[in-house]
Amino acid sequence: MTYEFDDNDLKKIEKIKAKYPEVMPATLPVLWLAQNKFGHVEPDVQRLVAHTLDLPEAHVHGVATFYTQYYKEKKGKHVLDVCTCLSCQLCGGYDMLNYIEDKLGIKAGETTDDGMFSVEEVECLGACGYAPMLQVTNGKYVNHLTEEKVDKLIETLKEGKDPEYEQIRMPLRKVN
Amino acid sequence: MPEVIIDGNQFEFDSDKDGSLLQFILDQGLEVPFFCYHPSMSVPANCRQCMVKVGTPVKDRETGEYELDDDGKRVIRWFPKMQTSCNTQLSDGMVVHTQETDKLVERAQKDTLEFILANHPLDCPICDQAGECPLQIQTYKYGPEGSRFEVKKVHKPKRVHLGPRVTLDAERCINCTRCVRFTDEISESKQLTIVQRGDKNYPVAAPGREFDDAYSMNTIDLCPVGALTSTDFRFKARVWEMNQTPSIDISNGKGTNIDLWTRDNLVLRITPRYNEDVNDYWMPDVSRNAYKMFNENRVSRPSQKLDNEQVQSSWNNAFATLAEQIEKTDNEKIVFVGSPHASVEENYLLMILSNLLAGSTPVFTPHIIDGAGDNFLLTDDQAPNTNGCRFLGLDELSKKDLSGKIKKAELVILLNDNLMGRDVLTAGDFKNAFFTMFATNNTVTSKEADLVIPITTAAEHAASYINVDKRIQRTVPAKETKYSNRRLDIEMSEGRLDRYGTSFDNWVTEENKVDCLPMWSITNELSDILGLNITYKNSRQIMSEIAEQSPAFSGVSFQAMDEQSGIDLTATKHTVKS
Amino acid sequence: MSSADWKNFEPVLIPNTKDLHKIDVYQKNGGYGALKEVLTDKKKWEGPKDVVNEVKAANIRGRGGAGFNAGLKWSFMPPADGKPRYLACNGDESEPGTFKDRKIFEYNPHVFIEGALIAAYAMEITSIYVYIRGEYIDYIDMMQKAIDDAYEKGFIGKSIFGTDYSVEFYVHSGAGAYICGEETSMLESLEGKRGYPRVKPPFPAQKGLWGRPTTINNIETLAHVVSVINKGASWFSGIGAENHPGPVLYGISGHVNRPGVYELPSGVPVLDLIHDVAGGMRNGKELKAVIPGGSSTPVLRADQLDGVSMDSDSLREVGTMMGTAGMVIMDEDTDMVDVLWRIAHFYHHESCGQCTPCRDGTGWLEKILLKIKNGEGEIKDLDLLLDITTQMEGRTICALADAAAWPVRHTINRFRDEFEARCKKSVHAVA
Repeated sequence: MTYEFDDNDLKKIEKIKAKYPEVMPATLPVLWLAQNKFGHVEPDVQRLVAHTLDLPEAHVHGVATFYTQYYKEKKGKHVLDVCTCLSCQLCGGYDMLNYIEDKLGIKAGETTDDGMFSVEEVECLGACGYAPMLQVTNGKYVNHLTEEKVDKLIETLKEGKDPEYEQIRMPLRKVN
Repeated sequence: MPEVIIDGNQFEFDSDKDGSLLQFILDQGLEVPFFCYHPSMSVPANCRQCMVKVGTPVKDRETGEYELDDDGKRVIRWFPKMQTSCNTQLSDGMVVHTQETDKLVERAQKDTLEFILANHPLDCPICDQAGECPLQIQTYKYGPEGSRFEVKKVHKPKRVHLGPRVTLDAERCINCTRCVRFTDEISESKQLTIVQRGDKNYPVAAPGREFDDAYSMNTIDLCPVGALTSTDFRFKARVWEMNQTPSIDISNGKGTNIDLWTRDNLVLRITPRYNEDVNDYWMPDVSRNAYKMFNENRVSRPSQKLDNEQVQSSWNNAFATLAEQIEKTDNEKIVFVGSPHASVEENYLLMILSNLLAGSTPVFTPHIIDGAGDNFLLTDDQAPNTNGCRFLGLDELSKKDLSGKIKKAELVILLNDNLMGRDVLTAGDFKNAFFTMFATNNTVTSKEADLVIPITTAAEHAASYINVDKRIQRTVPAKETKYSNRRLDIEMSEGRLDRYGTSFDNWVTEENKVDCLPMWSITNELSDILGLNITYKNSRQIMSEIAEQSPAFSGVSFQAMDEQSGIDLTATKHTVKS
Repeated sequence: MSSADWKNFEPVLIPNTKDLHKIDVYQKNGGYGALKEVLTDKKKWEGPKDVVNEVKAANIRGRGGAGFNAGLKWSFMPPADGKPRYLACNGDESEPGTFKDRKIFEYNPHVFIEGALIAAYAMEITSIYVYIRGEYIDYIDMMQKAIDDAYEKGFIGKSIFGTDYSVEFYVHSGAGAYICGEETSMLESLEGKRGYPRVKPPFPAQKGLWGRPTTINNIETLAHVVSVINKGASWFSGIGAENHPGPVLYGISGHVNRPGVYELPSGVPVLDLIHDVAGGMRNGKELKAVIPGGSSTPVLRADQLDGVSMDSDSLREVGTMMGTAGMVIMDEDTDMVDVLWRIAHFYHHESCGQCTPCRDGTGWLEKILLKIKNGEGEIKDLDLLLDITTQMEGRTICALADAAAWPVRHTINRFRDEFEARCKKSVHAVA
């Protein structure tokens, strides 16, 4: 299918370009814009970004493959990035990953047959104190995972609702 | 003069010209292993192979004097880590230890090679790069013995059709990024990039696009391993079987310096030769494919037309026929046509014959296609020696004028220019004339000729060519003809197969030697028959004669051309056409 | 306030004020007063140089992990020449164990904005870019809103407070690469390219973004600048440890009862942080190991922690580093081989692939550790691992190879028995 930017997108792109003295820095933000619009940055989308910004196609391709958050192929409607690094590993991150894999019937890196869910195993997401946790489709963090919480999350996502932002206060130091 | 001390030896350097420590070390004839550094491109310092230990002398802030230790020697502040010499800038008093004098540096270089080889596939037996592979050579000299890598190597795509002329083997790539920098900085097509991250990365073109840059095959020379190889040359020959002969590109007017690689008297490939004034380290792809014209479709043995059909003749017959035609035709009806595709010496010989036999100067028409050139190594001028014809004083005619002149002639003697193939003449133009052609390859024009006499190509003779920038350069013979012998011609290189092969083994194929003669040999024969008293022994002698007689060529000789990598003739004056 | 007094410390960076992220609340609590003073009170602050000297005297050690005196780094900038100069704020918080800068983004973004503006004035900067990791999408929106509010109030933009100082402030989002936390890699990413670190020299202060002088500072470092201006360099350098002063955001995670981010002076004893501040070990287990400052810092065994406090000198004595103060606490049931393998996997995944020792070395380390983890390893593999770490360290363009090598070397050295027990029994005698 052909991918195009409409006038609104082009206006946003102009605003993005205005932030930098050259046009090449706009590569990352415009790839984000494209991914948010189309859901991925497959080669056709990369070509669109390259032509819109008048940059070499090879350059956009190299940038898109370097960063992990750009989806190089179509993923499921909801991508569950489960962190299993260091603190999350210590607090049961792998158990959560295995539970989600069993529940959805797919392995990490795969998508369910109905195209609803993809599971990925990722590196540190910066929520080490709230382990184990996962991120939903480059968006909200879901912390302090338990099997019940995972079940509820998947139900919420299946209903088409986004999870709520979890506010975590800095714990007041208890002085003994 | 500022100086630097390398391995205990002092070297003076010029702070304007010498910047990079690695380049300076190489210029002195010393050796430090490296992969990603290239003198004509930016320095990324990412292979980490050219490690050396560097220190600078300590200067007292107040007095400006060097601090001395108890022995009276300068105190050296060593850099805490070893430095990559490619991006270390020279400074006065710098002290450098390479792998020759420091064990830690030797160890560091060995470690880097171990890391490169960790994921490098064991492809040497099937890799084209073997024999000219910097990784092989540096591993042999500086690398580890054996491998400690006992886990699985990373797998990446192999035999990828990167472009129409370049094949990629991603596993062999060591990510030096020379190819990517080439397309960014030199050819400026920006078609290549590195994809993925970490040890999964390799170079590739944009998805859905080919690497069809007009200079794409230069990355094959640049690539220090067998990751980028020539699709055309793949598996044809091993490097040590071939002879490497310096020559000049004759496919366009730039005069790119090249090397011809031959085995068993077939030219198998062409690679560029460094010349800082003409082509640096590069050459265009179309010129590389020109090697085929030296091997294929050659005119071998003279032929003549009998009943309007060309049949093979003999040398004696050919000379006799030509002499007869010359003697029976009036001088004004003989037209000698020179060629910008032929060398200076060949055109000069034609001019002598024309002067003596027809009392006229030869004519020629340049071969120029507007818009074919770019600002780099491709030129509009499709012939290597247009300026040569001009400097010699041949008459330059337009296509129309030449065609008109041919139509009125009774004897046309054409030197190796495919005039019908490039739409200057048609078959009808030769209706009234006996058409003789000295030709190298079978073309539509040579098929029309009444008499075809084969001559040598640039791969078989030593001759000079003047390029569009008025630089005269010369070729060296690489291919034997039926009448030349590598062992007798001191300029022709001898390889393993030549030295140890005989006519009775499988390494020598007589059919690869073309039955042709150099132009000076033909001139000698003709002069014999026609009583002209011309004897030339070789092209070198012809060039000395030209240099003596023509002020445009003053100071030119084969020796001077070799020593100076070509001579710039812009300052000299052209001959006035007489 | 010395380290011993840490229990009485009142948070300065993220105080317990409600809605401090709203600019009106921030202003009411004295916010942007420091900026106004620096720009307009010419008797106290004659020019930008005075600000640099004050910050240098305060000795704010960089909170991004390298611990370099921020004021000293500022003084490396060349004199202004009328062309653009940049401040790049490093919010690419991807080091495992580190999750502190997000608190500043969420609860007190304006202290960071004000700190960045003061830094920009001190170095005569023309544009500020804050680089936030792409996964922090909520915080990117929060930061953009805070910056828009500050623009509206005239704290950013042309002629701030009526002076002739103008500066622009932009948010740039990353896209998932740990290597982009390295300062020159972040510059490459800001320039829209693959995040390959640059060769130094030339240093960013000479040639940074688009060839112009650039300074890079961590978010928390810049946030501290405000309190230095408000309360003075001597107040700041009097807090916590002598050589590493000031409040620190400790990010405590792992097997403790109350993991989270705590603002305390530097130099708090490690054991106090674990048992007192973070509520002690979970489920009553015993402490086994502590990683003090994010996964790049060498691990410490429980018996090495006596008398060790969270400041750079004390930690260096026991053979580790302060890093980002992201502490990971491990209890007695932790399998060190598993943990080390996962750390090696992280570095293998995040290596940018530019230079040889890191690209091939991180992969090699992970593969050998996987072999050992699966019970296929041999004793000689442990010595090979130590050899590889020596070969990787100090030979690369950036410090990721060092950061990958240190955990492997020190975890194996400090838990050698556990690793040897995991290896296959050797048929040959081990010398």
